[in-house]
Amino acid sequence: MSNTMNDETSIGTLMAEQVERLLSREVTRERLIAVEQGTFDTPLWQALEEMGITLALAPESAAGAGLSWQDAEPTLRAAGSWAAPVPLGESLLATWALGSVGLEIPEGPIAVAEGVFRLDHNQHISGTDALVPWIQHCQHLVVVAEQSGQRFVCLLNRDEVSLETVETFARIPSSRVVASGATPVAIAAADNIIGELGLLPALATLRTVQIAGVLDRLLALCVEYGNTREQFGRPIGKFQAIQHLIADMAAQTAAAQVAGLYACRQIDKGNGEYGAAIAKARGGLAATRGAEAAHQIFGAMGFTDEHILHYYSRRLWQWRDEAGSEHWWAERLGRRVLAQSGDELWRGISG
Amino acid sequence: MTSPFTFKPLEIPEELTPLRLRVRDFLKDIGKDWSGWKVGHSWTGFDKEFSRAVGAEGWIGMTWPKQYGGGERSHLERFVVVEEMLAVGAPLGAHWFGDRQSGPLLLRLGTEQQRQRFLPEIVRGNATFCIGLSEPNAGSDLAAIKSRAKKVHGGWRLSGTKIWTTNAQHSDLMIGLFRTGTGDEKLKHQGLSQFLIDMKSSGIDVRPIRDLTGEAHFNEIFFDDVFVPADMLVGVEGDGWSQATSELAFERSQPDRFMSCFPVLPPLIDDIRQQGNIDRLSARKIGATLADLVILREMSLSVLGQLAEGHAPAQEAALVKDLGNSHEQQIPNLVRELADCQATIERGNRLSELQGFLTQNVPSYSLRGGTREILRGIIAKGLGLR
Ligand SMILES: Cc1cc2nc3c(=O)[nH]c(=O)nc-3n(C[C@H](O)[C@H](O)[C@H](O)COP(=O)(O)OP(=O)(O)OC[C@H]3O[C@@H](n4cnc5c(N)ncnc54)[C@H](O)[C@@H]3O)c2cc1C
Repeated sequence: MSNTMNDETSIGTLMAEQVERLLSREVTRERLIAVEQGTFDTPLWQALEEMGITLALAPESAAGAGLSWQDAEPTLRAAGSWAAPVPLGESLLATWALGSVGLEIPEGPIAVAEGVFRLDHNQHISGTDALVPWIQHCQHLVVVAEQSGQRFVCLLNRDEVSLETVETFARIPSSRVVASGATPVAIAAADNIIGELGLLPALATLRTVQIAGVLDRLLALCVEYGNTREQFGRPIGKFQAIQHLIADMAAQTAAAQVAGLYACRQIDKGNGEYGAAIAKARGGLAATRGAEAAHQIFGAMGFTDEHILHYYSRRLWQWRDEAGSEHWWAERLGRRVLAQSGDELWRGISG
Repeated sequence: MTSPFTFKPLEIPEELTPLRLRVRDFLKDIGKDWSGWKVGHSWTGFDKEFSRAVGAEGWIGMTWPKQYGGGERSHLERFVVVEEMLAVGAPLGAHWFGDRQSGPLLLRLGTEQQRQRFLPEIVRGNATFCIGLSEPNAGSDLAAIKSRAKKVHGGWRLSGTKIWTTNAQHSDLMIGLFRTGTGDEKLKHQGLSQFLIDMKSSGIDVRPIRDLTGEAHFNEIFFDDVFVPADMLVGVEGDGWSQATSELAFERSQPDRFMSCFPVLPPLIDDIRQQGNIDRLSARKIGATLADLVILREMSLSVLGQLAEGHAPAQEAALVKDLGNSHEQQIPNLVRELADCQATIERGNRLSELQGFLTQNVPSYSLRGGTREILRGIIAKGLGLR
């Protein structure tokens, strides 16, 4: 297929290739298991830091690479496609949020809360987020807090909030976070990049891109298995029913990829909420369909703990629900459409 | 392990907004009396007067060279015009096949004389083309066609039968695929050639076939020793297979592959609004449909960008058609789910007329232009399934 189309070797693609090489070498099943059991993959994180990847979305003034979301998309997708067991996407998002309001970026991985917290008049922060992945391994957390209709990006030290471990499909260490009058490390009024949904749209964008990455990987695994697993004296990929399952996976993979990139471009254009809504509504569906097809293709072997498949399918189930499921976003979109006469639909699509 | 697909984004620049608004005004005026039933036909609806009006605006053959009457406009400008037309279900059928398929084929492979003679007529909305590929015993297995062209003094003699040819009864010309080489079974992709056929030639018998909607859109065509002059061969003798299949990336990725049912959505939305409280299911379903459509449009634009750069993204195009057909085929089900559809078709009620026509027409979407099964086979092979 037309890989020749990647003729533009932008910083973004070069960075993604670097990450790809690293992850394909480092991310083994053993290391995925270790992370699920609570060990942080310090060597992998350090390798990414040394490559300068963790500051890709931070402005140049903060020693970052100042990439746009569109530029960073291939890197985020690559991280998804290897189920990278580090908070790379979260940290990139956090540094982008901090950088976009001119706050200083702390060392180490940073977690992100999707809910909007409250900021009181003593500059103290309160609020709850039911699910913050990776927080156990991050010294810092970025949240958006609101005060009289104005939103602020806040950097919190983890020691300022209370954590309660939660169980997730992905089994990535995650917690419910409660802040009760926490004192932020730093705080700055958010410009109009951060809307009423706080960091939720950016997080939904990240999850969609990661879903696309996982689907890329699952598709490749399924093609390989289709060509090698034999039954009735021939590779199962010879059966048309399997070919059509894989073709549908391909279609879902392509749609997720386009959706993720679309959302990234919309953030760059200051239209992040709409982009995320479209992308997650479509990407969540792709995750559902892709996981179903992959499990059908891999048979009983794919249902075992030993097989690599579930490290991907559990992430699909995780990420389709995180940061607003496809249904949650679809409802929001739908209510917006249904608030206006039918004639407005096309105007909204065509711009 | 990067993705097997390329979907580099292509954006429609703001400079094209005036063009979009002009098309919109034009359609508002010319289409003010179109019924729901009529717009349900969308790009296969035949209305020569409309096509001539579109031609007069310079919106057919928009990207073609000026020397053939074209507008030398960008592919994006054409995209804007096309999607505006599809959004209201404009009857494009009298010029669509020439604009989408036959014209570009002649530009690429036609002789200078063929281009000068036919392209300006397509551009004006005068020349209607039909596509003669399928035969009674050659559908998905197109290379099994049996119709033959025999070389004679000064040209060719065609004999055989074509079937399912959309709008042939109204067409001036056909691009037809015929067997010119030996009938060796093992070499069935070889020895095929494309011809430009004047539908008024003697020996052509066009018989409309009534379809399940009660109307006749497609036809069976009998060729009885029909003479075609030598200069009406398109491209190279014997190269018909690769010539015909190389058009497919154009044919399969455009908005006509996912917008055929779009015109029913605005009246559906109005119907839901009239029901009062917006329930959660309706909102979710409408939102999901919108998201699907926006992403399909992005995919289609991306393929367009690649085509304009001279690439042939056949896989990506097949994916757009497969996803697109599924999207548009689901829309009548969506209407049934969210609106209280009656078991009657109420003439004069836009939603009911559209729903009535589309319910009956959507089964054809995943047949025409390559069936879903064939597309999925192409996609699977392209992914490296051996
Ligand atoms: C409304 C409409 C307009 C059309 N307009 C035109 C036109 O203008 N010009 C023209 O030339 N043709 C036209 N066609 C014909 C169209 O291209 C054919 O219908 C199509 O190629 C399928 O051929 P078939 O109908 O003979 O079905 P078949 O090929 O007989 O297929 C029947 C079923 O078997 C499946 N099948 C066949 N082969 C395989 C396989 N290898 N693997 C798995 N499944 C398979 C098909 O997917 C389908 O489900 C039109 C068709 C329709 C419905």
